Amino acid sequence: MGILEKITRNVDNRYWNPGVGAFPVKNRYTAGVAGQQFFERLKEDSKIFGTRCKTCETTYVPARLYCERCFERLEEKDWVDVGTEGVIHSFTVVHKTLEGEAKEKPDLIAAIQIADGILIHRLGELDDMEAYIGMKVAAQFKAKADRRGGINDIDYFKPL
Amino acid sequence: MRKVAIVGAGLTKFVRRALETPKELSFEATKTALDSCGLSLDDIDCVAHGSAPDAFDGIHQKGEYLADGCGGWNKPTMRVYVGGATGVHAVVHGWHHVASGMFDTCLVVCEEKMSNAMPHAQGFFLTIFDAITERALHPNLLWIFALEMNRYMQRYGYTKEDMALAAVNNKKNGLMHPSSQFKDEITVEDVLNSETMAYPVSRLDVSPVSDGAAAVVLAAEPVARRLTDKPVWIEGVGWTLDTAYWATRDLYYPRYLDKAARMAYEMAGIREPDKQINIAEPYDPFDYKALHHMEGLQLSPRGKTVELLRDGHFARDGNLPMCPSGGLLGVGNPIAAAGTMKICELFWQLRGEAGERQVPGDPRLGVAQAWGDLMQVSSVVVTGI
Repeated sequence: MGILEKITRNVDNRYWNPGVGAFPVKNRYTAGVAGQQFFERLKEDSKIFGTRCKTCETTYVPARLYCERCFERLEEKDWVDVGTEGVIHSFTVVHKTLEGEAKEKPDLIAAIQIADGILIHRLGELDDMEAYIGMKVAAQFKAKADRRGGINDIDYFKPL
Repeated sequence: MRKVAIVGAGLTKFVRRALETPKELSFEATKTALDSCGLSLDDIDCVAHGSAPDAFDGIHQKGEYLADGCGGWNKPTMRVYVGGATGVHAVVHGWHHVASGMFDTCLVVCEEKMSNAMPHAQGFFLTIFDAITERALHPNLLWIFALEMNRYMQRYGYTKEDMALAAVNNKKNGLMHPSSQFKDEITVEDVLNSETMAYPVSRLDVSPVSDGAAAVVLAAEPVARRLTDKPVWIEGVGWTLDTAYWATRDLYYPRYLDKAARMAYEMAGIREPDKQINIAEPYDPFDYKALHHMEGLQLSPRGKTVELLRDGHFARDGNLPMCPSGGLLGVGNPIAAAGTMKICELFWQLRGEAGERQVPGDPRLGVAQAWGDLMQVSSVVVTGI
């Protein structure tokens, strides 16, 4: 088997260029029936909503249209305001960029448990040495004018 | 091998741009299918899931992403993917799970959300071509169909008008389908006057871009008989691959389907398919493909298909209705879901539950087929009551 070139560092890898005949195509996603409402409440009311399945008593966060365990449809009456606080379920300290360069300041990324759901988000206002699993945190929302109806309407989670 | 029946079916509407996420579309079809036979997820032993390229939904590993919407949480779940043939092949795949004796019930769910691709899903097809010998010519998917259609027409002396008859037939049937994304009847002139995409393919020769999902519930014989008085049996399955060098195929005759159809008929004990089959759902992403596939399915003599179509033989009230659902041309084409929609149609037609689309004369045997991969694979399912 022939090797065309030897690359020892990923950052040296060249982008594959499909060249002429390429058709620029991207994906545009919808938040979905439940997602649309979830992000509207996040953006307009600074609230985090979940949906609760009466049958198995699981509260999904972010809110979902259906319970994956019971296959029940989760309707308007099943929407619950779960507050804006959660607990660090796990976390990581990210030191490198996607390109493999050292970050000027490491990012703190956490899995934050709210009701029975998990949100992946940034941690802020704390040093990476201070974070611990089980730590209580609260959502820090962006200013209303800067919100776009997405997960980044929450700027980060900070210690309570 | 055990006998396997379809006992429930569910379908979303086929639409151009759905608000629903791919998972939510899958849920709607799956929930409807379960409700149609009075089952809950606890009654389901496994999930056979199908979806075409990851690029369409825009999520890599979309089988895993979609699984919970297909009822796959905490269940043996497996995705099958053979491009456009996925929707029928997923049913073959589910049939294996139950016929083998491994599981008593199986949910088969197929979904596609084409509208995520901006500006158009066509861009994702560019990389299916050979990277060295073809891509440098800037091909697009329509080239394949245009070359095939031209050769098919030339071989038998067919005209574009002849091909348009199939579009008119299927679109007309589709108008009666509650899931259809169309509301207007079209004429042969409309097809001929629509813009040329890649000669001889004009816009109305082609099925639309769609979002949607479809599901069926399969059960082993004893379970099926407990659940319903009208199980629709899977009598035969078949699938074959032709060469991946697509242009070297017999472009005027779908050999990839010939063998798959014969395999399914042999299993079903069908010796004269053109006389024994009551309903055909050939894969019709393009109008000429419906006719092409009727020949490959051994339901029409080669080169005589247009004549039979003109005589009304393939009309909804004809001897052998072709695409009574409306097919991809008449209902819509969310790739994998469109194939399963054809299986749903056989289920409803054979049970006499197709409403105003109902084919007269108590049909007892039906065949559905889909085509895909690098345009060289076909899957066939024969159902009977």
